[in-house]
Amino acid sequence: MVNLKDIVQKLDLKVVSGDINREVSAGYASDLLSDVIANAQKDNIWITLQTHVNIVAVANLQELAGIILVNGRQPEQATLKKAEQENIPILLTELSTFEIVGKLYELGIHGNKMSSA
Amino acid sequence: MKLIEIKEILEAEVVSGEYDPEIEIEIGCSSDLMSEILAFGKPGSILLTSLMNIQVINTANVADIKAVCFVMGKIPDENIINLAKKNDIIVFITKFTTFESCGRLYKNGLKSCSYLNFEK
Amino acid sequence: MDNNKRTTTKIQELTYELKVKDVMTKDVETVSPKMPVNFLRDVLQNKRISGVPVVNDNEFVGLISIEDFIKCLEQGKMDDLIEDRMTKNIKTLYADEPLVHAVVKFEKFGFGRFPVISRKDKKLVGIITKSDIIKGVLKKLETAYHDEEERRYRASHIFNDIIADEVFLKFQYYVEGKNFDKAGEASTGLKKTLYRLGLSPEIVRRAAISTYEAEINVVAFTDGGIIVAYVEPHQIKIVITDKGPGIPNIENAMKPGFSTAPEWVRELGFGAGMGLPNIKKFADKMTLRSKVGKGTHLEIIVKLSNYRDED
Repeated sequence: MVNLKDIVQKLDLKVVSGDINREVSAGYASDLLSDVIANAQKDNIWITLQTHVNIVAVANLQELAGIILVNGRQPEQATLKKAEQENIPILLTELSTFEIVGKLYELGIHGNKMSSA
Repeated sequence: MKLIEIKEILEAEVVSGEYDPEIEIEIGCSSDLMSEILAFGKPGSILLTSLMNIQVINTANVADIKAVCFVMGKIPDENIINLAKKNDIIVFITKFTTFESCGRLYKNGLKSCSYLNFEK
Repeated sequence: MDNNKRTTTKIQELTYELKVKDVMTKDVETVSPKMPVNFLRDVLQNKRISGVPVVNDNEFVGLISIEDFIKCLEQGKMDDLIEDRMTKNIKTLYADEPLVHAVVKFEKFGFGRFPVISRKDKKLVGIITKSDIIKGVLKKLETAYHDEEERRYRASHIFNDIIADEVFLKFQYYVEGKNFDKAGEASTGLKKTLYRLGLSPEIVRRAAISTYEAEINVVAFTDGGIIVAYVEPHQIKIVITDKGPGIPNIENAMKPGFSTAPEWVRELGFGAGMGLPNIKKFADKMTLRSKVGKGTHLEIIVKLSNYRDED
């Protein structure tokens, strides 16, 4: 478990919503909501470039630790409002998915183990 | 980084037939939205994605992306493999997630698209 | 003089692009440290080489040269072991280093050759001399020159041999609506065609990406359309037309992230409102006209590189 606050600090992420005082179990990177619903796990940090309001619902459903929006993307107004309501941390970075995942990996956050079908 | 090294790091399998293990790939990119790859993918890079349909191969083709890696143990169907072969695109499959795959490659020195954007 | 300058820059580029392993000699004759110097007689004579790497279990341990050999001969010490007469602590190069490192080392140390070892396990994989570098660079220059010549020939051939006031080649593709399995066939076909015409990869890539995004739009939103590409001496013009439903608000449609795409399009990896912005990004000029109920007319222009600077 790595603290989200540490991650924010070390990777210079911009926090736009939610309480970042929580633990991260592992990471999940995907831009397909159905895929995240199927495969993300509790306390994952989710890396995506999707910005619409549905991401908050997905994060809530899966009890994710937070969402990192990549490549300089900004959340939509509705997304931000909902994220504040639901206390879901949304964090911003200028980096691409590949690079921010790489840096998270270096901080000791790994991917979920998949029970291969 | 050589294709053969990528294959080892991702414990991956190449499903697009014969390939030159010495081919150098310098850059990694990852997204499940193909427009993002079209906009930011760099020629000669490897694309990691959990999306699986022939548009992934078409995207790689028009954007001059050399290799595609499908994640989480999903196996591409014949149409996808044949289209990749026809267009000289190398297709990997790995059991790891996108996150784990990107992390491993980055840790071993593969550069990212955004890294190069900043250098410009 | 300009030409000279260009060649110099090209060679400099190549010394960064090429790796030591690309030009080195791979099948290297080696000797073992426990052999007597006398053994070198045949090696040096038969192979006409002036120095031999000494290798112990694949590990590079030193270099023995023709001078070392002659010294032994003069001193009557031909039964000495190679390891006692060889030069140790030799400077080496890694196989994956850019060629420019080798050039710098040759200048700095004035040696005639460097053993090349692999970074991973430090094993000897080859040897590099100055003449290897020159040969490697020349070969690469020649290939690059041929590629360029061929490309120029193929494109100019068509435009130069035809006598007319205006020349353009026209390629037409039909796009089926709602059929995602066939989406991309037109743009990848156009890409291959443009490449075969000898246009530069960068131009082809930009034309292909913008056409592909447009094709995806036709498939996702309409019942089908037509893509026509006109290749002219100075530009590629691609016209994409369909018969509806049309775009109600073009200004919105151009906003990155704005999308009216149905869920099935999104799950296929598109429809995130990046298509039209991407076309704009890769085209030199883009014109979009649309009438609800009538259809959409999109025109993309990609200028050919040698004409681009003049604008």
